[in-house]
Amino acid sequence: MDSKQIIKIVSYSLGIISLVFFFWWLNANPTRDFEILEEGADNRGAGLEAQEVEIGEYFEQFATGYTELSETWPRFRGEDFDNISKSPVKLIDNFGNDSPRILWTKELGEGHSGAAIYEGLVYILDYNEEERADILRCYSLLDGKEMWVRGYNLNIKRNHGMSRTIPAITEDYILTMGPMCHVMCLDRETGDFLWGLDVAREYESEVPLWYTGQCPLIDEGKAIIATGGNALMVAVDMETGEKLWETPNPEGWKMSHSSVMPYTFGGRKMYVYSAIGALVGIASDGDDAGEILWQTTVWNHSVVAASPVCIPDGKIFMTAGYGAGGMLAELTENNGNYSIEIITKYAPREGLASEQQTPLYWNGHLFGILPKDGGPGRNQLVCVHPDNPQEMVWTSGSENRFGLGPYFIADGKMFILNDDGTLFIARPSTERYIEMDKVKVIENGHDAWAPFAIANGYLIMRDATNVVCIDLNI
Amino acid sequence: MENNSKSKNRREFIQSGVRLSLALALGGVGGLALSKVIEDDWVWQIDPFECTQCGRCATDCVMSPSAVKCVHAYDLCGYCDLCGGYLKPDANALSTAAENQLCPTAAIERKFIEEPYFEYHIIEDLCIGCAKCVKGCTSFGNGSLHLQIIHDICLNCNECSIARVCPSDAIKRVPASEAYKVKGDFTNNPES
Ligand code: SF4
Ligand code: SF4
Ligand code: SF4
Repeated sequence: MDSKQIIKIVSYSLGIISLVFFFWWLNANPTRDFEILEEGADNRGAGLEAQEVEIGEYFEQFATGYTELSETWPRFRGEDFDNISKSPVKLIDNFGNDSPRILWTKELGEGHSGAAIYEGLVYILDYNEEERADILRCYSLLDGKEMWVRGYNLNIKRNHGMSRTIPAITEDYILTMGPMCHVMCLDRETGDFLWGLDVAREYESEVPLWYTGQCPLIDEGKAIIATGGNALMVAVDMETGEKLWETPNPEGWKMSHSSVMPYTFGGRKMYVYSAIGALVGIASDGDDAGEILWQTTVWNHSVVAASPVCIPDGKIFMTAGYGAGGMLAELTENNGNYSIEIITKYAPREGLASEQQTPLYWNGHLFGILPKDGGPGRNQLVCVHPDNPQEMVWTSGSENRFGLGPYFIADGKMFILNDDGTLFIARPSTERYIEMDKVKVIENGHDAWAPFAIANGYLIMRDATNVVCIDLNI
Repeated sequence: MENNSKSKNRREFIQSGVRLSLALALGGVGGLALSKVIEDDWVWQIDPFECTQCGRCATDCVMSPSAVKCVHAYDLCGYCDLCGGYLKPDANALSTAAENQLCPTAAIERKFIEEPYFEYHIIEDLCIGCAKCVKGCTSFGNGSLHLQIIHDICLNCNECSIARVCPSDAIKRVPASEAYKVKGDFTNNPES
């Protein structure tokens, strides 16, 4: 064989090998071992079937006599929806060397439902784990004597607690909304059952994760409930239980943990609500009652616990947890038409944000506790100006961090509750954080997240399993 | 004859010397081995209460993938549908679809147990110790997901290269008899 032949054979062989390699390379799929991650791999169940619930079926009276008092804290965030007590009652600004004057303590089912107070009576919607029932408990404010209970059987399991909502109280009525969206209306004095509404059944609403967090609203004789599902919001006559209007929900926005906030702007009263899907303003009265006046889908997060903070000049501040952050929007009105413009929307580490509690608007400023994903300022109480919620006016500093607990203002003092049941008293200021005192109120307290209620100088606060009444009078 | 006995003595001397050095060597090795058993060794471990989930455990370990893995304290877990450790913040849907999962390597398995509970399980072979899930769980959940150095992977370097860069000084030497600082079994309460 001469060298020419050898070169020929080698060249042909190399050509064939290259061709084989080329076709192999063309056909090889480097991702063939990859697994496609699709939904459904967790075998999610079909969801719970709605239970047959007889709302208000159970009642028991234990006592009748109690000391009537003058003041009220009639609902979530108080009389004016701002979480600021206007009572002239003077409160202590420190505990001195004394322990807090705890008037009474009661054990409750695991949860975060706060109290409403009406002239000497305290109302808390509890979940009774033994009886497996939603139970509205009525206590005497001064001594904690249980007056009566009304409720209904309901099977639910622990899911970071069970109860979460605060009743709404007027002179005549009590309105509650339970963990599975059961609305119950009672006569305030007697606890007599007036009417009920199974929201999840009637409106095919999705019960929010970790159960209902929306505190029901009574406004001018109407119960206002954000239902999600087949209607976005409904108004029900408090006296008769008859539906007055329903807001259509063609986009299928869902119920959040946020509560409905009444707001008057541009000469119209409206209900501002942060649904899962959009922030909306709904006409509260007139011919178009129940119709959407404005909406923005820019605010669309899967879990929204805080309620809208509606500032008199038309600004609306929204915040949510789980990485959502904050948003400032501005409402304008032109010949009865409303439009909403987003001023800023940002991540939790970029400005005022809150996971559960609704920020306070006081003295032209917003106050809130940053969430754990709030960057270096995490868990600090901060103050911002609503013109720019991304610029901190002050922060409480890395040595003063808090949790997910409530904060409010009464008698010119700011009260802050830490997750472990430590109560802080601070002086509200737009200049800096001024702590006046702190005291551990609930021993071994945990998840003390329910909003405060105060009347006649008696503060109601709770952790996951205990509710406490403290005398803060001077 | 004298010569003979002299050479015998030398042989005996050498023999006994070899025997002695052998015994000494054996004794030394045995003693060393014994001291290893009696004395506690030191290994590197993460204090999960100090860790700030900076992500360096995934990038600074001499092993690739890292010897640091996520572990799950089931007794602390809330078994939530919306799990801050499993789902991206503000995920589109609460599902197993890739776009909703926070873990870059899909190392967390999510299983429906019963309404309303879901269980989360770490597939150790896939975990690279990036701490993304730990951050999510610590920020939004009960903090049941946490990082640990896994000792059958760890080389127990003289100077742990992650400990050198850990911004929270969370990696410390611990006695080998208590090689793990697993959440759930202990708390950061010094009195407990
Ligand atoms: S380097 Fe330190 S802070 Fe960062 S993830 Fe590892 S242990 Fe946590
Ligand atoms: S997110 Fe990171 S630490 Fe968590 S399981 Fe996945 S790879 Fe491991
Ligand atoms: S000791 Fe070495 S192998 Fe072990 S975690 Fe540290 S760097 Fe990785």
